[in-house]
Amino acid sequence: MDCGTALGKIIAKADGLLPREEAAELARHLAGCPSCASEDAAISATGPALRALTGIRAMEKAPALDAMWTRVRAGIEEGRETRRRSSWIARWAWIPAAVALAVAAVLFYPAGTDRSPFHPSSFDVAVEDVESDVATVALVDKGEDLPRVIWIIEDAKT
Amino acid sequence: MPRRKPRARFVGPTLPFLALLLLALLAAVPSEAADTVAVDVGAVYASNEGTSIDPALGTIRGKLRSMFNYTSYRMLDRKRRSLPVGETWEFELPGRRTMRATPLPAQGDKVRLSIQISDGPKNLLTTTLGLRRGGMVLVGGPSHEAGVLILLISAE
Repeated sequence: MDCGTALGKIIAKADGLLPREEAAELARHLAGCPSCASEDAAISATGPALRALTGIRAMEKAPALDAMWTRVRAGIEEGRETRRRSSWIARWAWIPAAVALAVAAVLFYPAGTDRSPFHPSSFDVAVEDVESDVATVALVDKGEDLPRVIWIIEDAKT
Repeated sequence: MPRRKPRARFVGPTLPFLALLLLALLAAVPSEAADTVAVDVGAVYASNEGTSIDPALGTIRGKLRSMFNYTSYRMLDRKRRSLPVGETWEFELPGRRTMRATPLPAQGDKVRLSIQISDGPKNLLTTTLGLRRGGMVLVGGPSHEAGVLILLISAE
């Protein structure tokens, strides 16, 4: 194995991608080549160094990350609270709408469906004129406490 | 982007509606009291089929029994409308007859009504009535099924 091939295998080993039989072959080369052995040592040390560096940076950033998480949690809580409040409002918001609708119905509903019983306060009626083209019309007055009646007699029926 | 508060989202559409309703109320009350007449017409089928008297006839039930010889009184239809003086209301009566009611100018608590009842092209009745507000007059006689129609006409 030449040193160029060995360098490629050293990098593959550092990445954990070197098959076992090739690793053995590389080990034999490294045992006889101090230059490649030195390169292997340097590259192999890079991984732990990077991990250590990442750990240090993470520790440095920990307070900022904690603060960010606090804000995220607060945001989530606020969202929940908003949903709770909006659902409470949604539950009761129909009341004013229903009241308004009921009043509108009373005001604007066609009065033809009024089914309250008749309770006239007076039967005092003046018939100013009365006529018919096809029937005989009779006025019936049976007294103050009874309604006046206009009776239409069609086709000489009584 | 600022979010709209939920309360505003629900109350927002309701408030203009309530305001509109209040305006309608305020507009409706004086006109109802001033120059309008509430005309109420009940079409009663009087016959000798059975002995029932419709409870919807209220205090008129006893008077109908004492005035006519029919044994059954059933309200077939009832219509009510508030009309300004001079406006004609035309509606159908049972048996394809039509009725036209027009409030006429009157003084005090009196109401004057012009009534016209037609059977197709035939004029069955044309009359002008003067009533107290809350008063009632009966118009009867047109045949209907096995009996007659009696119209209870009241005005407030």
